[in-house]
Amino acid sequence: MTLMIGFLIGCAFGAILYLGGASSYRNILGTLLLKDMTIIKLMMTAIGVGTLGIYLLDLGQLAHMSVKPAYLWGIAAGGAIFGIGWAVSGYCPGTCVVGTAEGKLDAVATLIGALVGAFLFAIAFPSLDALLIQNANFGNITLSDLIGVPGFYIAVAMSAALLFLAFFVVKDRYE
Amino acid sequence: MNDKPIISWRAAGVSLGLLLTLATYLVSPLGVSTQFVVTDAIALHSIAPEMAEGNTYLAKYGTKQDWGVGYGWMLVFGMLIGAAVTSRVLGHKQPAQDKGSMPQLWATRFGPSQIKRLSAAFVGGLLLLFGARLAGGCTSGHMISGISQLAVGSFVFGIVTFSVAILTAKFLFRQRGN
Repeated sequence: MTLMIGFLIGCAFGAILYLGGASSYRNILGTLLLKDMTIIKLMMTAIGVGTLGIYLLDLGQLAHMSVKPAYLWGIAAGGAIFGIGWAVSGYCPGTCVVGTAEGKLDAVATLIGALVGAFLFAIAFPSLDALLIQNANFGNITLSDLIGVPGFYIAVAMSAALLFLAFFVVKDRYE
Repeated sequence: MNDKPIISWRAAGVSLGLLLTLATYLVSPLGVSTQFVVTDAIALHSIAPEMAEGNTYLAKYGTKQDWGVGYGWMLVFGMLIGAAVTSRVLGHKQPAQDKGSMPQLWATRFGPSQIKRLSAAFVGGLLLLFGARLAGGCTSGHMISGISQLAVGSFVFGIVTFSVAILTAKFLFRQRGN
């Protein structure tokens, strides 16, 4: 049953990314060059709605949260490497799957590169683990743990701020 | 000329936020990059089982008895099917600039060589997953799902990733000569 739910949620996820234009090099680079803000506004809206939704569920103790550990060096180094790859290929791991489904060869090349990258990381893992992952690891902490304010209040404030920015402040295009 | 995505960022953003909420209610939040490791582990278990068993990282995600195909892998497989069906049915509404394997913006800057584009895409993909696995997540797991759960590490990932990606894009598309 869980497998079926995963499959159906994935189908919807893939369809939304495709329909929203997230598998398009033009739209991704548009956002990264700070010219066409479609994708960043899509993400701000998704996070705005998602934060509120998850913390509403959490009020009723219905959220199956999965907070990733905050190991600062590995996340910063990995994020930087990821950022370069994102700007070079124009895809992220999810949208290269979507682009592959569309039959885009550059998405297929990104997907194959990604499988190789994951394999190289698996080989490098033992030598990176102690230095970058076990070091400065603050565990599965949230903003709520950090500043001592209930998560729901932070969620409402952040959600309102993100949706306000996306809908009323950030323009669609900048020259 | 129509150059807008098939649905607006509002519609896509709200539906993605609701989908994330539903996924978190039913099973767990959205994530993609782990499944590349699972796929590697599956492949390696088939062709070089000793190597797969011997690697401490791959062994975390799959074993000889259980390849690790679960909710997460089915989700990514679903993305492939969902996007394939949607693009076949509604592809005629997709702007022409967003179709095909050679983005116009890329060709204008780096020339029309398909080999060059595919090589860059391959190297980009390699960096994406090396970085995502080092950081423990990608755009979906860290940025969308992680920030929505107010995870501190995910904010760090989001800030670093966007900063570096913007700098890289600005560098790649810098104006030359003037």
